[in-house]
Amino acid sequence: MIDALFNEPNYLAAKKLMDATALRQEAIASNLANLETPHYQRVDVAPSFTTELSQALATQSPFQIGSVQARLEVDTTAVAQNKDGNTVDLETELMEENKNVLAHALEAQLITGSLLRLRLAITGRSA
Amino acid sequence: MIDMLPGIDCTTSALTAERIRLDVISQNIANANTTRNIDGKPYQRQQVTFETALRRQETGDGGGALTHTVKVAHVENDQRPPVLVYNPAHPDADHAGMVAMPAINLSEEMADLIVASRVFEANLAVVKNSRSMTIQTLSIGKRS
Repeated sequence: MIDALFNEPNYLAAKKLMDATALRQEAIASNLANLETPHYQRVDVAPSFTTELSQALATQSPFQIGSVQARLEVDTTAVAQNKDGNTVDLETELMEENKNVLAHALEAQLITGSLLRLRLAITGRSA
Repeated sequence: MIDMLPGIDCTTSALTAERIRLDVISQNIANANTTRNIDGKPYQRQQVTFETALRRQETGDGGGALTHTVKVAHVENDQRPPVLVYNPAHPDADHAGMVAMPAINLSEEMADLIVASRVFEANLAVVKNSRSMTIQTLSIGKRS
């Protein structure tokens, strides 16, 4: 019953995005940890995630959105800069990390916003 | 224990590995002129090799598949032969007056030292950002 309050498609999508950003942070941590490991291949959230999520969002069905799952996979597009076969680039990775932190802040605010609106609707008070 | 900070396992392992590398480099620099090791021979340069360890491979719940921690695989002796320097006054000189000095190139060690500390810093930046992400997550639902 109460679940229906939290089934708004945008809210669910923001939750999914937040899961993906947390997962992405793990991937970046792994990439930066292995900056000096020979033959390490960088990992990232599978690029199919965003397309799957936008398709699910187009259907507006809470079940469809709930079934989208972010996964990590080896980034095959990255090329090794050195002879050691490591595909991690320090600068790019740090930039990606900063972008990820900002994206996470945005998603946290979106979720907070929908929760506060919900509270406003229930109590009739904004404070 | 819940994973509060995303990716903290990988980062911790990398910090440990880089610290070991820094230790080994400082040992090499400290022993650049050691002509008598424990075995009586000149000091042999030490070298660190890294390898990955697969942390988690489950895919259920979208959880952290494919992240890799890093560990020090070996601390090995570098196989370079000692450098012979003419110094007949040295106690370890042979009958021809040549002393076997460790084959340590200070510029090489310093370059390695800088790389190791940069990687260490990069991992510390990850800890900082993961921390701020967790704080944001914990403040969901609060009015700012």
